Amino acid sequence: MRFNEKELVSLSRQPSEKAAELGMRGPKKGDVVKKRLVKLVVNFLFYFRIDEEEPIGALLLEQCRVEREDSQTFSIAFLDEAERKYLFECDSEEQCGEWVDAIIKASYEFMRKNLIFYRTEIHRLTGKDPLEQYGISDETRFQDCFTIKMTLFKENQPKTSEHLV
Amino acid sequence: MKLDEKVVSHYESSDSPVDKEGYLYKKGEIKTSYQKRWCMLKGNLLFYKERPTDRDLTGVIVLEGCTVQLCESEEQFAFSLVWSEPGLRTYKFAAEDQDSQESWIKALLSANHSYLALLVMDLEKKYRGERLEEQLCESLLTDAPFVMPSFTAEPGFPAASCLSGQTSTLSSFPAQGAGAGPMLQALTVSSKTASKRSPKLWPKRSANVVPVNTPAPPLGEWSGVCFSSQEDFSKLHDDFGKEVKELIADWSRRGRGDDVVQEENLIDFG
Repeated sequence: MRFNEKELVSLSRQPSEKAAELGMRGPKKGDVVKKRLVKLVVNFLFYFRIDEEEPIGALLLEQCRVEREDSQTFSIAFLDEAERKYLFECDSEEQCGEWVDAIIKASYEFMRKNLIFYRTEIHRLTGKDPLEQYGISDETRFQDCFTIKMTLFKENQPKTSEHLV
Repeated sequence: MKLDEKVVSHYESSDSPVDKEGYLYKKGEIKTSYQKRWCMLKGNLLFYKERPTDRDLTGVIVLEGCTVQLCESEEQFAFSLVWSEPGLRTYKFAAEDQDSQESWIKALLSANHSYLALLVMDLEKKYRGERLEEQLCESLLTDAPFVMPSFTAEPGFPAASCLSGQTSTLSSFPAQGAGAGPMLQALTVSSKTASKRSPKLWPKRSANVVPVNTPAPPLGEWSGVCFSSQEDFSKLHDDFGKEVKELIADWSRRGRGDDVVQEENLIDFG
């Protein structure tokens, strides 16, 4: 499968949400823990050999499960297969927690769900769709789930709407 | 650099929403002719393969750091993805008609991660403002003391760590840097001193829907639409504060001693 490698490498050099030296173990049997510079940029996790310019590899952080393995270790599992579980060893419990948090929230799909949540809630609270002012309420990107939710919401509305002083 | 391709393929074939799909003519990377490809946009990734039913992906383009432009081409309805750094590519595409061209350009322009992050941040701010108002109204209606709305809906919510006394690592309230600190601390103080009362209007949320900590927004076209968060929240707070004070005074006059909210509960932003 082809991908735009140079552009992805360029992305790895961008300002990062989070970067640290962690112990990293690959998903294959026999993979050992190695010290890597791990860098979170948008929804990609890049990992470098210490002091190297170009990353060894990149992981797309979508459709993955991030879990705490113990107080200082977390894992990222893809495809629910044991084979594709990457392990990361942190220096502290706090650092571990921060990484788990940051990786979960970096996912595009996670952000999309949040957007739909806020959109629905703001509509419920104000009667207005907040995306209308940006002229993007019809975008497919935010459309389907919202439409479904709005249909359900309207069906469940009580008949009287006057409840404020 | 390695890219874990199985992970990428899995995302493509998963049932996460497809933002746009259809045939596009893509200028070859080796051969320079345009080849018809089935393209699928998901998030900030543009996948392409020969036919929609093909299991194997021909390739993927990560849409970060590029602009989408109309371009000169022997093909009609052409547009390109341009990375402006030296040594980086330009991908050329052609759509089948003008509508398709416009639609694809629009979709690709807003496909990047930062766009969505900024939008979520903006809506989160609006949402918190509305919830604050809703909570205040409810308090007024039920004669209860005004409790700063607990924005905690789920574990792992940024406000949860704030309420327990830890400082949030990333500002969960949109703020351009230093402003976030005092605001988050203020929320902590308020929740501890006010009486415990769970917000009635807070239905259970699904586990996935947790507001997000987002990176500092890059300045750009969206800077105009993002509000100056600290000013707005302070003003909102002051406005509500005035109303609450008036109500307290009213209650005191009517002799309701029990649930009078102490003056100190109102957060002083200084």
